[in-house]
Amino acid sequence: MLTSTKYIFGFVAGVALLWGAWFLAVQQNQTPMWKQYQQQYFQQTGQPADIAVRQIVPQMTGKPELCVSCHIGLQEISSSHPVEVFGCVSCHGGNPLTLEADQAHIGLRGGKNPSDLTVVAQSCGQGCHSGTPDPSKNHVESVRRSLQATYAGGIAAVRFAFGAQSDALPQYGVFAVTDNDGITTAHGLSKLDAFPHTSDNPIDIKFAKNCLDAGCHLSEPARAEPYFYRATGCAACHVLYGNDGLYQGDDPTIPHDEPGHMQSHQFTTAIPYTQCNHCHNRGNYSLRQMDFLLRDDLPPLGAPLSDQMPDEGRRLIEYYQPIGEFTLCEWELDCIDCHTAQEAMGDGDIHPNQQEMQYTQCQTCHGTLETLPNISTVTTADTTVLRQAALNPNYQLHVGDQVIKTSRGELLGHVKLIDGQYILTSKVSGVQYPFNPVKGSGCQQDGSRQDSAYCHQCHTYQR
Amino acid sequence: MKRTLQRQIKNIQLWRSNKSFIYNLHPPRIPASGARFTYTFGLGGLAILSTIVAVITGAYLMFYYVPTLDEAHASVAFINSVVSWGALVRSLHYWSAQAMVVTTVLHLARVVYTGGYRPPRDFNWLIGVGLLLLVLLWNFTGFTLRWDEESIWALLVGTNLLKVIPNIGNQLYVWVVGDTTLGGAAILRFYAWHVFGLTIPALVGIAYHIWRIRVDGGISHPVASTKASRATVTRETLLSRELLTTLFALAVLLLLAGYIVPPLGSPADLSASGTAEIKAPWFFLSIQELLRYLPPLWAGWILPLGGLVLLALIPFFDSKGGGRGIWFASERWKVQVVFTLIFAAIIILTAIAWWR
Repeated sequence: MLTSTKYIFGFVAGVALLWGAWFLAVQQNQTPMWKQYQQQYFQQTGQPADIAVRQIVPQMTGKPELCVSCHIGLQEISSSHPVEVFGCVSCHGGNPLTLEADQAHIGLRGGKNPSDLTVVAQSCGQGCHSGTPDPSKNHVESVRRSLQATYAGGIAAVRFAFGAQSDALPQYGVFAVTDNDGITTAHGLSKLDAFPHTSDNPIDIKFAKNCLDAGCHLSEPARAEPYFYRATGCAACHVLYGNDGLYQGDDPTIPHDEPGHMQSHQFTTAIPYTQCNHCHNRGNYSLRQMDFLLRDDLPPLGAPLSDQMPDEGRRLIEYYQPIGEFTLCEWELDCIDCHTAQEAMGDGDIHPNQQEMQYTQCQTCHGTLETLPNISTVTTADTTVLRQAALNPNYQLHVGDQVIKTSRGELLGHVKLIDGQYILTSKVSGVQYPFNPVKGSGCQQDGSRQDSAYCHQCHTYQR
Repeated sequence: MKRTLQRQIKNIQLWRSNKSFIYNLHPPRIPASGARFTYTFGLGGLAILSTIVAVITGAYLMFYYVPTLDEAHASVAFINSVVSWGALVRSLHYWSAQAMVVTTVLHLARVVYTGGYRPPRDFNWLIGVGLLLLVLLWNFTGFTLRWDEESIWALLVGTNLLKVIPNIGNQLYVWVVGDTTLGGAAILRFYAWHVFGLTIPALVGIAYHIWRIRVDGGISHPVASTKASRATVTRETLLSRELLTTLFALAVLLLLAGYIVPPLGSPADLSASGTAEIKAPWFFLSIQELLRYLPPLWAGWILPLGGLVLLALIPFFDSKGGGRGIWFASERWKVQVVFTLIFAAIIILTAIAWWR
């Protein structure tokens, strides 16, 4: 039988326990991650703390999204994709009505990267970059059929060289792809099958292991190492990564000291050579060994060479491998100043090898001994080049401007003829480079040998 | 005026007033042997406390839960993270519901082992068995409302069991699910069952169950043969014990709710084939395990319902003799052995399924 003293003690203990339990349970529920992220954001940006659930209602969907409650400092992806119109879910998917990361991220397209080629049709496609009447806007189809994605030429060349197939005509891509909207070029293929990963041919097994799964194409995640960090799909080129793979933006959910993140959550068409470098110029293929040999002449990240060298010198080291042969413009310009959108992203056809697609030569801008470079006057009908110029803040283009036209009819809006002077404006830096045509110069090259390889014979730097 | 007000305030007191509700729920004096904590462990009261917490928290959740195919799971995620106190309230709802099942089953076991089912309490025993069924269905319908990968496939298995009932199975399925397949109609119906169709009978049943205790002569207790067994306690004493138990039980519930977050998986995708591991809620795991060994009609209906009927019939097999109000009285050994065997079988089957 309990005495009244024991009852009183029991009540006091019970009330204390209940109060304690309440306090603990409330505390457990009062420090959710989103509040911590916002505190961190306001602390690191030095702004007065305004901690609240944040919501946007993008015009495209009309449905509220709470993502910015955690991703408070995330930059707008691009001015063409304003957050108040697109929001987050239109591209990323996921559940926008929760503040718990686990729940919010269920159904994210492509994990962190909705432009991954496995999901790009649902995120970037949706009638915007796919399935439009204007083929130049159908980037999803073009890129999936492009050589950077299919790797068709590389696969065919290696399998042919090792006897796994009887000719060098591509049969396989990294993934299966078909061209069902009309082949427009002479060498276009109607389809590629997916590389036979389950093949028991030792050639295929080794090639898959050493090359296809080693981060060498658009759909393969990069090696998690300095210099290699990049995304897949569209973001592989259009979202910039530093060589150290560190995030430099203000989103508190992305750690600043963890490699493997984009520099900032922003698309760009002003893609510097460093971005191309995450895949290209990272070593050499050895056909004999059927392997990729990493170059060993790069300075380790953080070494004085990498950090303190002047940009030009650093670029010389980072870009050009020993015994590389190159001209001044190849050293000073960025890759995209010469290589066109079609070369990089495809023209809608499935091409069998790089030779069919990589067509920019010195003569594209400089002409030949006999002919001046091809010039075209921009009209309102040239929507592609006008769109490209509008997306790049580093150069201007107007209807009536005279620009270089490539042998495949692409207009280079950043290479103009102004008052008799040819001028290239760097797409990456905005710096203007006046240049002269070959015709009328002192060039003594044989008129029938005008390919870039011949130009390199005289106009060469070497490392 | 002041005096009238004071009188009014006194009249609405819940405590120690002749007109107070809680006070008058209890008889003035209760046999000490029946009011002993170690006799009942307060299980019936804890079941009621769990129910009260579940109903209050459930009412709060109703403001935010949306019983549609697109919104159901999202609204639970919304409650969890955006709604003020939503996560804690949902967690309390979940844990009080789990506690409700546990305490109801243990309460039933206590009644069996102390012989509390015997006449005149035989009818209240039947009400109790009915309430057990309601509590299980209440929990199961709540479980399905999450509409995540885990609950949807358990729901699919559960509702498909309806179809194996001969002759009326398919019609019954359409009646319960509201469609020929699981979908938006099912969510709406399960929601309606959860908050209305089961809640009202359960609350009425509980009230009746409590009232019947008074009508049947109070809580079961040993036949008063000695002076000691005739001892009584006042309702104040009983109320104090109940209050203490309530305080401690609420503290445990709060700690569970605060620290162990109820599960919420990925949104259910009915168009995909079930890749998630199909696991029934824990209180139905024994039936799920039986389904592995026996045809669905037997595992899903005949055996569980047979067990329930057997439970219901206990007072009719054992209505007389000594041992009333005494834990594990040897006079009632047959009923206790049969019950223990059934109870152990359920626990073993549940354990096998749990660790499978």
